[in-house]
Amino acid sequence: MNVNDVLSYAFGAIKLRKLRASLTTLGVIIGIAAIVALLSFSQGLQDTITVQLQKGFATKTLIVSPKGGLGGGEASIPLLVSDTDTIEKIGENVSAAVAIMQKTCFINAKGRTFTVNIIGVDFAKYQTIYESTFVAAEGNITSENDSVVIGARIHDPWQNGTIIADVGDMVNITWTKRSGTSQNKTYTGQITAVLKEIGGFNIGGPSDLGIYIPISQAQNFFETDECSTIIVLLENDDKATIDSVSEAIKTAFNNQVSVTSATAVLDIISSVFANVDFFLAGIAGISLLVAGVGIMNIMIVSLMERTREIGILKALGMKNQTVLMIFLSEAIIIGLMGSAIGIASGWGLANIVARVGIFGGRIQNGNQAAAAATQISITPVLTPTVFLGAFAFGIIVSVIFAIYPAWRASKLKPVEALRYE
Amino acid sequence: MATIVEAVNLRKTYLLGKVPVEALRGVNLKVEEGDFLAVLGPSGSGKSTLLNLIGALDKPTEGKVFIENIDISTLNDNQLADLRRRIGFVFQFFNLIPRLTARENVELSMAIVGFGKSERRKMAEELLETVGLKERMNHKPAELSGGEQQRVAIARALANNPKFLLMDEPTGNIDSKTANEILTLVKNLNEEKGITTIIVTHDQRIASQAKRTVQMLDGLIVKDVIN
Repeated sequence: MNVNDVLSYAFGAIKLRKLRASLTTLGVIIGIAAIVALLSFSQGLQDTITVQLQKGFATKTLIVSPKGGLGGGEASIPLLVSDTDTIEKIGENVSAAVAIMQKTCFINAKGRTFTVNIIGVDFAKYQTIYESTFVAAEGNITSENDSVVIGARIHDPWQNGTIIADVGDMVNITWTKRSGTSQNKTYTGQITAVLKEIGGFNIGGPSDLGIYIPISQAQNFFETDECSTIIVLLENDDKATIDSVSEAIKTAFNNQVSVTSATAVLDIISSVFANVDFFLAGIAGISLLVAGVGIMNIMIVSLMERTREIGILKALGMKNQTVLMIFLSEAIIIGLMGSAIGIASGWGLANIVARVGIFGGRIQNGNQAAAAATQISITPVLTPTVFLGAFAFGIIVSVIFAIYPAWRASKLKPVEALRYE
Repeated sequence: MATIVEAVNLRKTYLLGKVPVEALRGVNLKVEEGDFLAVLGPSGSGKSTLLNLIGALDKPTEGKVFIENIDISTLNDNQLADLRRRIGFVFQFFNLIPRLTARENVELSMAIVGFGKSERRKMAEELLETVGLKERMNHKPAELSGGEQQRVAIARALANNPKFLLMDEPTGNIDSKTANEILTLVKNLNEEKGITTIIVTHDQRIASQAKRTVQMLDGLIVKDVIN
């Protein structure tokens, strides 16, 4: 019997039991749709985050921070603003180092008090590192003493034209010093620039929610020389450069600092996502296995109903392997239809979820500023790997679970099968 | 004339629950090419068992079946399947595939052998014409009468140019008028085309039309008469 005849015979058998076949196929559809929806959504999220991160910090940078930090560990030396000199002295491959001071303060604007993150940096150096993001949309970034640069979301928090701070405005920035008694420290400055909108996360880099003051002012205002991080600009983003400079910095500080490279962070995020994908695919895979058991169940029932038919086919001279192929073809057809419809509906589902935003849809920036959080929308991505993988998986599962019933059918003895009522 | 089927000392024992039942207890039979043989006997005399063994649908407990001088106990599953393609079976309950039309049922046995679509369609139509059912060929078995279904089964059995026809109570499930028509058809096929036919039946009228009658009782052949 040729392949066409086997397939059309199998298809005819499926058509005869439409409801049963559709329910069996539905099992496969649900499994495949779950896999495709979860993975394309997760891929979309990963792409979004990667793009946002690349915007937020240049790949040519290293972030130096005091060791320990959260979660303790051994006590570390504080990082000082002047430590940038030490780093710049490393020389080879280092173009610049800029210290960043950060403190949570309050500002008053339009009669309301907002909690904001005040960042002290050397404006000129910061601009050389983040030449595409630390850019003024309005005004000029000048290093005048009382100049204040604000992020786009500080300027227009709700993105609806309600401006709470604008170029030329005077702002009072306040923090509370607590040493025995509480004492409010206030810094008054004039907004000289609003940054253009950056979007995305910021690790070390400029943020839409940041308020920037010159580092010398910050040292006076915060009454300290300690900085939270030092950003180092490298001459290139080769792995060798990143590694050698990282080592040199660690050595210079007796291993009391940790050095993070933007590229390394991206790598970590990718590997985390690989694990998440594996986990999600695993969960969805379980539902497909359930569908597989359903296929097996249905095929055993169908085998019993069709015992006599198999007897007839064998009496007409059909070979065992042809009977096997007919039953496997039925599973392949179910797997094929289930996978195709499953991929389409999974893809549709991911897009609907992304649009409606049931699953977050937007991610809130961790920075709990009064100004509205950065919004990121996720576009699901269906990679060829996921597409082909889901297709193959759907068919393979269907076939694997059909092997046993098909084998049993092929081994039926003709005379017993014919006698079966 | 050449011997087409030979059974030598055939024994077949079934287990009915735990009780062994001897369906055949040493049957010897030779069928010559062109023969028209009726096997008669009461229920349980072993006639259907004999037919199944000759048709390679079942294996004997003891003894041997030779078809065209080949010992079929030496054949593997695939070779047995090949052999069955050249044996035309007709059953009491027709055994057509319900979802296929008359023509498709006849085509099926040719599809199994590997004939292409247009070729087998043409041959199926010719065969259905031979059995007088050309105008009903696009009907499904449920839309055909018992006699018509049996004609389809005969047409199917004739596909692939069989070495012989094996018929198990072919008229057992149809009225006597139709049974006569079927009998005439079978007789004509035997006389005009020389198709060797072995018929298992209760029906004395069929037996009287056959060239040779074999009487069975309790798993043995008790009478073998040339009419």
